[in-house]
Amino acid sequence: MRPKLAGSLLLLTALTAAGCGGGDAPESSSGAKELEVLYKVEPTWPHLEKMLTDAKKQYEAAHPGITLKLTPVQGNNEAYYTKLALLNRSPDSAPDVYFHDTFQVNADVAAGKLAPLDDYLAKWPDWSSQFPDSVKQAAKGGDGKIYGVPISTDTRGLWYSKDVLTKAGLPVPWEPKTWNDVLTAARTIKQKVPDAIPFSMYSTKIHGEASTMQGFEMLLYGTQGGTLYDDAQKKWVAGGKNFTDALTFINTIYRENLGPKLSDAHNAKLADKINWEWFPKAKLGIALDGAWASGAWKPTSTKPWPEWKDKLGWTPMPTQNGEEPGAVSMSGGWVMAMSSYTKLKQEAFDFITVATNKENSMTYSVSTGDLAPRKDVAADPKYSADNPSVKFWTDLASVTHYRPAYEEYPKVSAQIQEAMEAVTTGAQTPEEATAAYAKALPSVVGGPDKVLAR
Amino acid sequence: MTVATAPSPSVTGSPAGGPSRRRRVLRWLLPLGPALVLLAIFLAGPILWSVYIAFTNETLTGSASVNSQFVGVANFVKLFGDPNFINSFLLTFIFVIGSAVIGQNTLGLIIALLMRGRGRVTRSVVNGVVIAAWVMPEVVAAACWFSFLAEDGTLNTVLGVSQEWLYTAPMLAVILANVWRGTAFSMLVYSAALSEVPADLVEAAAVDGASPARRLLHITLPLIRRSIMANLMLITLQTLASFGLIYALTGGGPGTASQTTPLYMYEQAFRYFEIGYGSAIALVMLVIGALFSLVYLRLIKTEDA
Repeated sequence: MRPKLAGSLLLLTALTAAGCGGGDAPESSSGAKELEVLYKVEPTWPHLEKMLTDAKKQYEAAHPGITLKLTPVQGNNEAYYTKLALLNRSPDSAPDVYFHDTFQVNADVAAGKLAPLDDYLAKWPDWSSQFPDSVKQAAKGGDGKIYGVPISTDTRGLWYSKDVLTKAGLPVPWEPKTWNDVLTAARTIKQKVPDAIPFSMYSTKIHGEASTMQGFEMLLYGTQGGTLYDDAQKKWVAGGKNFTDALTFINTIYRENLGPKLSDAHNAKLADKINWEWFPKAKLGIALDGAWASGAWKPTSTKPWPEWKDKLGWTPMPTQNGEEPGAVSMSGGWVMAMSSYTKLKQEAFDFITVATNKENSMTYSVSTGDLAPRKDVAADPKYSADNPSVKFWTDLASVTHYRPAYEEYPKVSAQIQEAMEAVTTGAQTPEEATAAYAKALPSVVGGPDKVLAR
Repeated sequence: MTVATAPSPSVTGSPAGGPSRRRRVLRWLLPLGPALVLLAIFLAGPILWSVYIAFTNETLTGSASVNSQFVGVANFVKLFGDPNFINSFLLTFIFVIGSAVIGQNTLGLIIALLMRGRGRVTRSVVNGVVIAAWVMPEVVAAACWFSFLAEDGTLNTVLGVSQEWLYTAPMLAVILANVWRGTAFSMLVYSAALSEVPADLVEAAAVDGASPARRLLHITLPLIRRSIMANLMLITLQTLASFGLIYALTGGGPGTASQTTPLYMYEQAFRYFEIGYGSAIALVMLVIGALFSLVYLRLIKTEDA
């Protein structure tokens, strides 16, 4: 009886171990090699999945013996970050190649989860010929190495409904020069077109990084000397007047009821409401958003709106009081990155080059509305054919800023979201929220010596 | 079976524990073995690990994820000075008292009392309705309440008003939703307990002229007091850990207006990747749950004495 039991125990343990460790053996049962690619998908955002499905076919045709496993994560960006971080906890569950937001790159470099690509990039002619230097920096680690090949880049600014502005008696094309111009326009819309929402921006925690970047940083970097990080002293800036001013703008929007209702401000699907409900029905005046919004209206979208080219206008977000250079933009983007745990490094890199080649890069940029990172795509008439706004968004690169995407940045961003949400709901005044940020900052960035008091 | 024929002098206790005693231990330990091993690996293991990382600065990514350091009680010091935690703790308290101790418990008892001696049809209909809410998965229940309370939802349509209930009264919304969902459990416990109350005792009291209220207060309730305590303990623990319902309904918002401790823990651990800090919060919750159970168990014991 006893040996039998001991035997079954052993068997059980063995089974359990096999079950735990069976994650991503590079050799599948048939002896073929398998590469796992992780990416995000939403019912309203099938674009990346479409492009990767194409890339999979091309790659498998060119690389017999290797199977590509596409693993989607259903959900918004925040859900994707969490899922990726958890999968990356163990080499057994980590995907070989993944779609990665550039602001997360340095934290993962510090954790040793990403493989540097420099050796492979040196042998890939496209890297030097097609990727502009500014774009190459997108996924540069603190050690100067490159950890991802850009699949998209972007700029940010204002979209507005010509119908709503005309009804409010505002000039079209509309060209605000200061924050005050924007607020005045919003107030005019509120007064003259009461059934339209005057102004929309992302300002709550549920929108995560979108709130920080499209919302807060578009304001902060438009103030005189406004920045999150002092490059000269290599310290994080603790609040200050710039910070309070940016929060005051948000506070004004919500206290004067110039923004969406609270339930919409907290709705994870706010972008869908803006792009598919409010703008087409002329229920929204101005939206602070990014280049990619046009992806929602194009023929490749799940709900195209061909009239957008005539009904909408676009203009840069002005600086606070019209300070030079008069406009502000933020740029980020996503890359295809390689796991440091993958045993098939060359194969993984080969897939990255397929996913970011001209054809696939084109498919992705045209359907998402993101800006193309490759010169040959940007120069191709197909890229700008159906999108009259693309030149405007591309030109914003001349005034754009990049996030201080250091390892601590995601945590700093989370603190900014706390401050923004507190101001959005009215739980705190801009001054209180700034003070709370300044107080929390040292523990977030690793000590008071890394903080610059303002 | 042959083993059982061995004489057992050890009943009186051989102090050193002879071979037969060891054999007897083995006889119950061996069949339990696989289960114990599994429990150790999948239950005790993760618990011990999370207790350990609660004392480190472990994160899900970044440099602290590869060389996390033991930071002693730093997480707990930070926790008790964290206004967001204090806020979440108060909200959890309101949530437990409001939805479990007052809501589910009282409503469950009232329904059970009213159902006594009713016709079979009434009983099955009421039982069916109440239990339907209970068997519903949390997320589905949350979706129902969301469409009920949403701005263009059922409630506003019926009342003819335009109120953003989930933003103006988020705690009330999640408390009501949890009462609605969880009442069935208390109702079932009390229905069972009430069926054990001897009818002749209640009748005798009625003959003696005791009013229905007096009969309830002095006969029925004292007789089911142990069920009350057990029920309170179970629903308190359940509600203390409730996550899905609130997460799906309000996400803890607006701001932190309905962010109970489990939601705060999730946010810290899995959105901000502070898994060490998140585990510290989990540990504190575990202790609070244990304290609650101790109090209830104590009360049950005193009742027995």
